[in-house]
Amino acid sequence: MLETLGLMGNGFINALYPVNILAMCAGVTIGIVIGCLPGLSAAMGVALLLPMTFSMEASTGMIMLGAIYCGAIFGGSISAILIHTPGTPASAATAIEGYEMTKKGQAGKALGTACIASFFGGLLSCISLYFFAPLLGQLAMKFGSPEYFWLSIFGLTIIAGVSSKSMVKGLMSGALGLLLSTIGMDPMQGVKRFMFGQSSLYEGINVTCALIGLFSMSQALSLAEAKIKQRARATQFNDRMMLTKEEFKTIAPTIGRSWIIGNLVGILPGAGASIACFMGYNTARQFSKHKELFGHGSYEGVAGSEAANNAVTGGSLIPMLTLGIPGESVTAVLMGGLIIQGLTPGPNLFVGETAQMTYTFFAGFVLIQFFMLGIGLLGCRGFANISRLSDAILIPAVTILCVVGSFAIHQNFVDVVIMMIFGVIGWLARKFGLNNAAIVLALILGPIGEKGLRRSLLLSNGDPRILFSTPICWVLVALCVIGILSPVIMDKFAGKAEKEE
Amino acid sequence: MKKTDIGVVIAFYGVCAFFLYMTLQLPQSAQIYPLCVIALLAGLTTLHVFNIICVAIREGVTSGLESLKDFVPSQFFTLFIMIVIYLAAMPYLGFYIASVIFMAASLIFLRVKLWQIIAAEVVVIALVYCAFELFLEVRLPVGELLESLGY
Repeated sequence: MLETLGLMGNGFINALYPVNILAMCAGVTIGIVIGCLPGLSAAMGVALLLPMTFSMEASTGMIMLGAIYCGAIFGGSISAILIHTPGTPASAATAIEGYEMTKKGQAGKALGTACIASFFGGLLSCISLYFFAPLLGQLAMKFGSPEYFWLSIFGLTIIAGVSSKSMVKGLMSGALGLLLSTIGMDPMQGVKRFMFGQSSLYEGINVTCALIGLFSMSQALSLAEAKIKQRARATQFNDRMMLTKEEFKTIAPTIGRSWIIGNLVGILPGAGASIACFMGYNTARQFSKHKELFGHGSYEGVAGSEAANNAVTGGSLIPMLTLGIPGESVTAVLMGGLIIQGLTPGPNLFVGETAQMTYTFFAGFVLIQFFMLGIGLLGCRGFANISRLSDAILIPAVTILCVVGSFAIHQNFVDVVIMMIFGVIGWLARKFGLNNAAIVLALILGPIGEKGLRRSLLLSNGDPRILFSTPICWVLVALCVIGILSPVIMDKFAGKAEKEE
Repeated sequence: MKKTDIGVVIAFYGVCAFFLYMTLQLPQSAQIYPLCVIALLAGLTTLHVFNIICVAIREGVTSGLESLKDFVPSQFFTLFIMIVIYLAAMPYLGFYIASVIFMAASLIFLRVKLWQIIAAEVVVIALVYCAFELFLEVRLPVGELLESLGY
């Protein structure tokens, strides 16, 4: 306990180093810019800027990526409120009440509410990060090869959850990712598999290249396919952004409820901020004393949606950091960031010297929320103008950044070609209802599962009973079943929330 | 059922066949795991086939091209070819020259105003130079052209 408190304290001291403060500032600003540009997503932003963290210390790099994540989730609300176009899917519910407020001349108040609710949602989500992550990490310390096999299977069942429409198509995407993860050297036999004579594929497909291709390059191709439209001019606003004491008292319980919703949704693999925002919005309406204002510009609705989607951020990091299971696309990209730094997501992050890095990141995540509040409140007017930036400029700019980002990994042109191939795969996957997040999850979890399975069978001389030899194995088997059933449950939640909306 | 699903199924069976052929070239002991994954992918694809047949019987057949309703083929393929040429030209022209030409060409094609083209070029190139060359110390491709001139 005392040791943990010491780590927490040191984490804050380290997070306050100037380089980390700079990373937070830059990350939040970049994140908000990406978030407020309709068409660019949080996952895309984090993937695109992943190579920038190569030369940074692990904690600084993770703080920067975390800041982009939080900034992008909040940034989506700016275009949602001012031009009725959510910058990211996580702000879809914010657009309903936020734009109504803008029409009534209360754009400043809507943005202020979004900013404050996002701040508290994000800040409160850090509590669960601090509380649950080390506990789960300690449990994961007991894992052996059979447990790791089941853990990866559990992660793969989440694929069913992250699939957007068809569960079978989601699983097919995952199986494709698994197949692609077999490219490279066989981990047990040392045989070259499907390397096409390329020595750069010795360690398999570079996950960062795949991430940049699937999330960023495919986005550029998606923007390139549609007619370039002139975006609506963002509404100029002059009203106060800060809320009065009374208004703050009104939204405080809403923020509390949305925090719990967002956090739980974040921890659950397969769910994400886009579901949480609707659930938070609906709960705000159910408990509101002014239900009649909903649909006509209610700041409680904005607070409910924004607090919930930002509360997802801390929660979603828990399964990724402790078990090495990214529950959705942004955390998959963040996991790529950890892998680049030579760290293995999982229980090892909470022991020894790496624990210091982890707690510095946690402390940084807390401080990021303060930067988000400050930069958000001060820079809203400027960010509002950025949201008008044309797709015509974004297409070549994003393409160039994808090329340079993938080249920077090994200073090798083969990586650029791999990124481009994954860009085309990602674009086709979007077009035909397949799932990019599922491909990435399988690409990351495939080698873990393969090693776990083959090592277990080697230890037991080929006896498969070893895979069911401990209680933890059985718990993980049960979680796999829940993982398979989770899309049905999530569909019910999402359907109910949208129906009520 | 969407007609485009047939294409998806054919593509997935094609991937299975391609990887199966390559797996059979591996030593026998290294074949087991890839074969399991190929079997999983083929099994799921077959499940998808049953699924789409059931949907076709229940709801009929649609083109499935709804997702392409905003698709502008001339714009997309022109930009795509530009990207391919940009990548192909980079080893010869170098990163900066190739990027400036690619960006200018694509922005002119998309009818962006001249001052916006210049501003975008300056911002993107400066960003890449500062972030990658100065900060990350990445040596971006100079290109055979500049190398032959002694750079």
